[in-house]
Amino acid sequence: MKPHVNIVVLVDAVGALSDRTLNNGNLSLVDDGAFGSRGQGTTDLCTVVVPGQVVQWTAIAIDVQTTAEISAITFLPPDAAGGAGGAAAEEAPAGEAPGGGHENLDLKVWEGIVPAHLQPGVPYRYRLEVRMHEGRDSVLHIDTPALMCA
Amino acid sequence: MPSKAKPPESRPVTITAVIDPVAALASGALEGNLFLYDTNKAEGSAGFGGTDLRTRVRSGDRIIWNVVVLECETYAALDEIVIDEKVCTPERKVYPNTDIAYWTATVKRHVTEPVPYRLKFRLGTVTEPYAVSSPALVGQAGAGKEQR
Amino acid sequence: MAQQQGIIVLVDIANALRSRTLTGNVYLFDNMKFLGSTGQGTPDLVTICPGTYWSDGSQATEQVLNWLPASLGSIPPTVPRSYHADRAQATDQEALEEIAGVADRAGDPSVDTAAELEGLRRRVGARARRQRGGRAPAAPKVLDVTGNVVTGEGQAYNHPNPVITDITGPAVEEKIMYPAQYGSPDMVSDGWYWAASVDTSRPGTYRYTMHIQLHELVWRNGEPAWEPVDYTCDSAIKVISDPKRNAFTGAGLGVLPIP
Repeated sequence: MKPHVNIVVLVDAVGALSDRTLNNGNLSLVDDGAFGSRGQGTTDLCTVVVPGQVVQWTAIAIDVQTTAEISAITFLPPDAAGGAGGAAAEEAPAGEAPGGGHENLDLKVWEGIVPAHLQPGVPYRYRLEVRMHEGRDSVLHIDTPALMCA
Repeated sequence: MPSKAKPPESRPVTITAVIDPVAALASGALEGNLFLYDTNKAEGSAGFGGTDLRTRVRSGDRIIWNVVVLECETYAALDEIVIDEKVCTPERKVYPNTDIAYWTATVKRHVTEPVPYRLKFRLGTVTEPYAVSSPALVGQAGAGKEQR
Repeated sequence: MAQQQGIIVLVDIANALRSRTLTGNVYLFDNMKFLGSTGQGTPDLVTICPGTYWSDGSQATEQVLNWLPASLGSIPPTVPRSYHADRAQATDQEALEEIAGVADRAGDPSVDTAAELEGLRRRVGARARRQRGGRAPAAPKVLDVTGNVVTGEGQAYNHPNPVITDITGPAVEEKIMYPAQYGSPDMVSDGWYWAASVDTSRPGTYRYTMHIQLHELVWRNGEPAWEPVDYTCDSAIKVISDPKRNAFTGAGLGVLPIP
């Protein structure tokens, strides 16, 4: 068993900001899991994991001069059908952020251990929130990806 | 003795819009992400670096508007210029054999009061234009001493 | 951060050449205002370099700066730099085609062949000589700011883009940044650009100096020549550095918060 699973979040920031959605091909998810993850290259990636593995998410902007960073990953309650029921992602108040008042999301390492209590075969969906630059329309999210125990 | 370069008589007045298209898309506004400049500082243009540029012009001057993009891989273009047709009629043209546009107009009359105009930009793949109405053409007199 | 930082150096070339200085004729920009760069669009840009390090103190992500000079009132940088050569070739080609027409009509006494040839000569345009050691484009035709050829003295011409020839100063001497000129297949930068990687382990504000060459069109005996003129202009980087931390726990590695 590989101790690590990497999930890469590939973002077309200009496309996403223009369309105001991470769908339409503006985001795709890929992992290197060993247990037959489904939906590679889409927004519906279901990453198959085992308890004790470390999962790490990394955002990459397809255009080297633009920025796309993960601003929140929030696991949704099991019965949240539409995805809106999850706890809203909270952003650190800008004043408390390191980096002279400007929150530098590059400091955040999105990494955690798969807990032991997950039911095998049940997808645990999460809200993935991406921030591109700053301002009113800079944060977009999808509720479709999931982790699932083998 | 070689003749030194002299500034040519007929040099057009170029107004350059520097734009950060990604920041404008993310914030939903041009303010703070659009920086206007012109080549007529020596004649008394003012308001450089903001959206309220005051370009000093004379009757007969040729004006060119163009765009410099902070992220060269992101599309940003000037879509329309709305100004009093009695003062000038901007026309969209392209650099020969390219699809890159600039706008040009000739000042038709002596400008006394400032003539504000509207700049509309297209950013990324958004179909709705982003606009500012704060820049203006100003004449030789009554343009104020707001030089900076 | 994987993002590369671009620093745009916008020069009012005509005014700089007239006042013989870059002071007051340069406007600087970068795309890092959202991380704390200040002075966008002014001569006083301070570019933020937000460094990160791991818990063992090693640098986590590399900061890369790229400098892109641009000219106020010239053909904008989005027009490919091969444009000058392309336009020179295109206008020559048009003229060659018309020479054939002039030759065909030469036998007709009502046609003033000399006047036609003179007209052609004017349309082919002026070709500027290049100063030895200068970095002006190799033997291009002189174009005006809308991409048409200039045919004689006194016409408004397009200044070649400013050229960065060196980057020096405290930020370089103190080994905070390591600038160098790189080759690139990207036509926007004419195949060459200056870039630097930054050592973010020593936070502070460090000044640096850009050496910028402009080109002035000088007419000698009716022949135009590009003459290089060298100026400098200062800017600064502000290096900060913060530790990487786990986004779920705010500290070290933990179990994922799955309900």
